[in-house]
Amino acid sequence: MNEPQAARATHIGRTLVIASNTFTQLVRMKVFYFLAVFGVIAIASNFFDMPQHTGPEAIGANVLRSIKSWSLGAMTLFSVVLAVVATALLLPKDVEDRTLYTILAKPVPRLDYLAGKLLGVLALIFVSLLAMDILMTAVLHIRTQIVLDQQMTLAAAMGYTEEARESLRAETLAQGPNWSLQAAVLAVFLRAAVIAAVAMLVSTFSTSTLFTAVISFLIYFIGHFQADLRSAWLAGGADGEGWIARGVSLLVSLILPDFQLFNVVDAVIEGQLVSIAVMAKLIGVGLFYVIFYTLCSWLIFAEKEF
Amino acid sequence: MAREMEEKTTPAVEIENLVKDFRTSFRRLPLRAVNGVSIRIMPGEVYGLIGPNGSGKSTTMKALLGLLAPTAGRCAIFGRDSLKVDSRMDVGFLPENPYFYKHLSGAETLAFYGKLCGLRGKALRERIGELLELVDLEGARHRRVGGYSKGMLQRIGLAQALVQEPRLLILDEPTAGVDPVGSRQIRDLVMRLRERGITVFLCSHLLEQVQEVCDHVGIIYEGRMIREGRLEDLIAIEDQTEIILKDADETLVAAVRELVAGHPGKASIIREGRPKTTLERLFLRETIGREDH
Amino acid sequence: MKVWKRTGIVALAVIVTGAARMPVEHRLTAEMRAAGLMPATLDISTRERIGQTSAAVALGGLRTLVATFLNLRAFGFFTEQRWSNVDETYRLIVDLAPRTRYYWETASWHQAYNAAAYYQNQSALPALRRREAWRSSIVRGLEILDQGISNMPDAWPLHVQRGFLLRDPNKIRAFGDPEASFLAAAESYARAAEIEGAPEYARRFQFYTLARVSGREAEALALGRELHAESTAHHAPTLLSVLFALEMWENPEADAKALAIDLFGTEERAVEQLGLYWQRVRERFPTHGVARALEALYDARGTPASERIINQPPPRIYDPEEAFAPGPPQHD
Repeated sequence: MNEPQAARATHIGRTLVIASNTFTQLVRMKVFYFLAVFGVIAIASNFFDMPQHTGPEAIGANVLRSIKSWSLGAMTLFSVVLAVVATALLLPKDVEDRTLYTILAKPVPRLDYLAGKLLGVLALIFVSLLAMDILMTAVLHIRTQIVLDQQMTLAAAMGYTEEARESLRAETLAQGPNWSLQAAVLAVFLRAAVIAAVAMLVSTFSTSTLFTAVISFLIYFIGHFQADLRSAWLAGGADGEGWIARGVSLLVSLILPDFQLFNVVDAVIEGQLVSIAVMAKLIGVGLFYVIFYTLCSWLIFAEKEF
Repeated sequence: MAREMEEKTTPAVEIENLVKDFRTSFRRLPLRAVNGVSIRIMPGEVYGLIGPNGSGKSTTMKALLGLLAPTAGRCAIFGRDSLKVDSRMDVGFLPENPYFYKHLSGAETLAFYGKLCGLRGKALRERIGELLELVDLEGARHRRVGGYSKGMLQRIGLAQALVQEPRLLILDEPTAGVDPVGSRQIRDLVMRLRERGITVFLCSHLLEQVQEVCDHVGIIYEGRMIREGRLEDLIAIEDQTEIILKDADETLVAAVRELVAGHPGKASIIREGRPKTTLERLFLRETIGREDH
Repeated sequence: MKVWKRTGIVALAVIVTGAARMPVEHRLTAEMRAAGLMPATLDISTRERIGQTSAAVALGGLRTLVATFLNLRAFGFFTEQRWSNVDETYRLIVDLAPRTRYYWETASWHQAYNAAAYYQNQSALPALRRREAWRSSIVRGLEILDQGISNMPDAWPLHVQRGFLLRDPNKIRAFGDPEASFLAAAESYARAAEIEGAPEYARRFQFYTLARVSGREAEALALGRELHAESTAHHAPTLLSVLFALEMWENPEADAKALAIDLFGTEERAVEQLGLYWQRVRERFPTHGVARALEALYDARGTPASERIINQPPPRIYDPEEAFAPGPPQHD
């Protein structure tokens, strides 16, 4: 055979090479500095406690929720911005700098290139979220213990019965770190993964980074209405919308991903539990979107000329 | 034996009647960048494609590399269709004014491209060492590519193109924007590769360079191939002969003049005087060559 | 060109998969709504009230963060005693985080307790307007609790808070008919008691409030006897006193002194606890036979007439702990 000395790389091998290169690229672009900002947020969120009620229940009732909503809010923002901006930036940059020519002039299928880029961005988001998650969990754990100590001291001083103290303790512990909180972080990651895949699809036919970013953010926000529009369509015009409104709701629910599905963050902060079954389904939906959009990107990118 | 024969007879590059139209946005009239170009390069040849800017040189190369899909005609590398990923197994490409990932060092850049070609571990490390030595960038091995000069970028680009030891090298304006010293280094490299039997397909608008390294030349103008063939055949002036004398005094020159005048037939002297060195040669002698003295 | 053909294929694929995933996502959404994981859709007025920017943020999974911000703002309004602003802000907060009990409790507490007390003490206002402002604040506080309960029907503390508010002697006049108010409070405590994890005192409070509704005494008595028999943990002084009054209501001819000693254990405890009970006139507890029992006990102990509580004017005791403490009351 005419094969050169080097063994042929596998699809997965090449994809991983491009992914790790993209990851290194982003790391060396100093994106991890935002983790410092997150650290400040996570610690600052400790000070959003307000003495409103008297009684043991009120001690720290706010602060635990505050830590969670600040941290998860920051995670959501960082992950989505990172997903869109990094994806929208990296592809056009490779074309502009002609680095893409050198890569595609090697025996690299275009699907491998796209999958690698996306995987690199996702790896970065994953590592960032993991770091933020660890920090949040640590802060929350420490603060929960402090709150619990204060509550129990005051409750004992106020002569709470054993039963009342147990119920208070259980309630406070439910506000602390638990598995549903980790599930919420995973849902944040899934949502970022989907929006990154969307941004990649947009960037395969868009002509500017700005356009890609704007369109992706737009899809992200409208995607949160998708469920509402879908139920409007499925309700069959029961609320008396005109055919234009119905057409729009059908179109939106067909085209856009349902980002609301991944929006368990708020419910978890409010103390709801996420079952494994629901989480598994969410992972399934997230994977479907990422793979589907990657294949769509490839269909367009494969025909692209440089 | 049969395979060896086949390797000798399969062209390294085969472009047949390549046509490429670009749709200019909004205007319906497509722009024909390449119009019926055919090129055949046999293994071991160094082929130079020359033409002014915008004549279709880069488009032809991109079509050959599968970066563009031809409107009509076909391109193949060692018999494999350019639109297939396989065709890129045996080719290295250096684009015009390449930029590499600024965040990588020279060695990391080569490692990246090497891994894309399936190189691993020790073999990869050795190859990187070899290539850095070949392009004389060992000193810049751990420096970020972002800080490389133009000539260094061109050389790391060349090393990158060679990483999987391809049998065909495609160079798009390899010396554009590089100073004469760097330009010379690149030319020397190409010569060395030619000695190793690597087929080279380069394009340039700097004719002198092409003349120096190529054995085959094609001239492309407005998307069409105007002239093509062996360099020597193309540039020889058939009815002229050049004699250059050293330390000749005035009497000898006069005798030559007389001899020509007295010779039967229609021979005549067209021009006489002192041959001039090129400015480039002067520059090289006074800069790099200085150390040799 | 080919690119256009490919784009067409992609567009078609997007629509086809869109149609395929529609029922799947719809089911998953329904499942997650049922599990309380999906926020209910914001109504349009909320979106308008928050304003464009926050609406976008609130939709992107940051509702609770916006709620945290607004809670800070509400605290500012609270310190400035701008009660309508506090109310308006909490309307937004509970829209954004309808499943956070704390917000419902705090929103209600600000109106029913803080705003009401503020208006009560607002001497610059004419008395009639003060009373009206006081009354509507308390009613608003109750309304917030009712909304909270419809959003979080399983949160027993909200039911208990509702009960506390409705039977609060300092607020009961704001609701019009006190007996209707006690009955509503009794129902709240009853619903709280049915919820898992609710404290035992919920049933005692059901008993205390039901006992104050005329026509429901028999029902209350049955509950009181059940609690009394169930556990000594229920033998709080108030329970024993109310149970005594209801027993005497059922059987006015009974020997009050013997019954009191039977319930309280000793003569001394009986005279002490029934004496305290007698003084809690503002709470409108039933007092059947209490005076008779006290007289008989005083006679037996030889207490001089001047030291007998029933001969003294009812004291004006104001216990803010009772009105403001959200936890189990201390007089229990």
